[in-house]
Amino acid sequence: MRLRDISISYGGGEPVLEGASLEVPAGKFVSLVGPSGSGKSSLLRAAIGLQKPLAGNVEIEFGRAEVGILFQDDALLPWKTARENVALGLTFHGVKREQALREADAALAKMGLQGFENRYPRHISGGQRKRVAIAQVLALKPKLLFMDEPFASLDAIVRARVVQDVVQLVEREGISVLLVTHDLGEAISLSDTIYLLSQGPRAHIIQKYDVPIPRPRSLISARAHPAYGPLYQKLWSDLSLEVTGKVAEAAE
Amino acid sequence: MILDPKRAWIRQWLTLVAVLLVWEAAGRAGMLNPLFAPSPSQIIGALVELFTSGSIWTHLEATFGAALGGLALGILVGVVLGVIAALIPYIAELLQPVMTLLNAIPRVVLAPLFAIWFGIGISSKVALAFILVAVLIFFTVYTGILHVDKRLVERITTLGGGRWALIRYVYLPSVASWVLSNMKVAVGFAFTGAVVGEFVAASRGLGYLLSFAQSTYNSALMLALVMLIMAVVLVIFYLSGRLEKRLMRWN
Repeated sequence: MRLRDISISYGGGEPVLEGASLEVPAGKFVSLVGPSGSGKSSLLRAAIGLQKPLAGNVEIEFGRAEVGILFQDDALLPWKTARENVALGLTFHGVKREQALREADAALAKMGLQGFENRYPRHISGGQRKRVAIAQVLALKPKLLFMDEPFASLDAIVRARVVQDVVQLVEREGISVLLVTHDLGEAISLSDTIYLLSQGPRAHIIQKYDVPIPRPRSLISARAHPAYGPLYQKLWSDLSLEVTGKVAEAAE
Repeated sequence: MILDPKRAWIRQWLTLVAVLLVWEAAGRAGMLNPLFAPSPSQIIGALVELFTSGSIWTHLEATFGAALGGLALGILVGVVLGVIAALIPYIAELLQPVMTLLNAIPRVVLAPLFAIWFGIGISSKVALAFILVAVLIFFTVYTGILHVDKRLVERITTLGGGRWALIRYVYLPSVASWVLSNMKVAVGFAFTGAVVGEFVAASRGLGYLLSFAQSTYNSALMLALVMLIMAVVLVIFYLSGRLEKRLMRWN
């Protein structure tokens, strides 16, 4: 998946993003980090097709059915049970209802939700809802996964467990991922490559970092790796410089 | 004093029984004029008389027929107009001011007009119950669709669902849940429409009986009818509450 020279503007005003390019190689986990308001989510929405870019193009080598999308909100249908919610995407792609429900049960089991198949979203916890939303996307067996701060609403312990499950699944299934996050630690522990966006408006990619931590990974092992600390420091100082530099520029 | 909320119903019933006993005693002691304030036993007597003579059934049938007919039509038309207005801005421009105006006035003032237009038969009562319910349901559905959870729409779209999937999985269930949550109010409105319509001009129905009782200074009959209407509406509230609970078990 490639994004080339993407520019995005809202309502014809000054572009929030200008000439942003990045690449997600097959089977790789790529994260996009940047200051608030740098247009991270806008770039992801352009990749998905939910936001029409002012200029630039999106190249995706997969069919629509092979692309999974996970946002911060669970957005599960409240009137459908967990398994019905998971089966929904499958039926949209032509899978028979019975078969879709069986596959939904299997996807829920993979996310550790056995026994919760017939619960409604309002009757399960936030962490479980997030797992259902992930199962909903993974049941489609995507080759490419877009995620926009998908774990932000979870508390620390639940978050660590859900992230770990997602890492394992992504590694096992060889899924290519583009993750938008503001959590530098999460970006380093999960990714093969990290792109840093500059402060908006007219934000663009200013730096690309390769993460030299071997796979398979666990969140603990990634954070304990000798490359983790220096990379975190580098990312943090580049990001701080970007934010404080722009603030100083604005003050002048 | 700390009151146990679980025992509230016991206190409520005991107080009611006490008030009724005092009322009955005052009536029997000749302290109340039966023309204005008949005793509870006289009211119950009037109620029993209505049922034992069998005369009440034709009136109940008329009121129920008008209320339920108006309710069904009101929901149907309210939902259809609400959906059309939400989908077609031009229709919304035309309908919204009319509906806002109808919503702003006490719609029962239309009762005399409907009696002229549709006669003193059941049609004018159905029309009044209908207009009361339809305006309520129109706004419920119209504003509901405009404020439908955009995240759900986005979710269905990104999972690969098309327009039909959006209608089936997002819009229809949303509309159904809003209508169901307004069902109790709609039922109340429908019975108000039917009874007021009968009160203005009719040859049968609970509203007609009320009007008759008023013209003959029969306070016992009037209070018996008020009790009966309360009982009927409570039963329907209960049934619609059960229906809501069953259909919205996900909530």
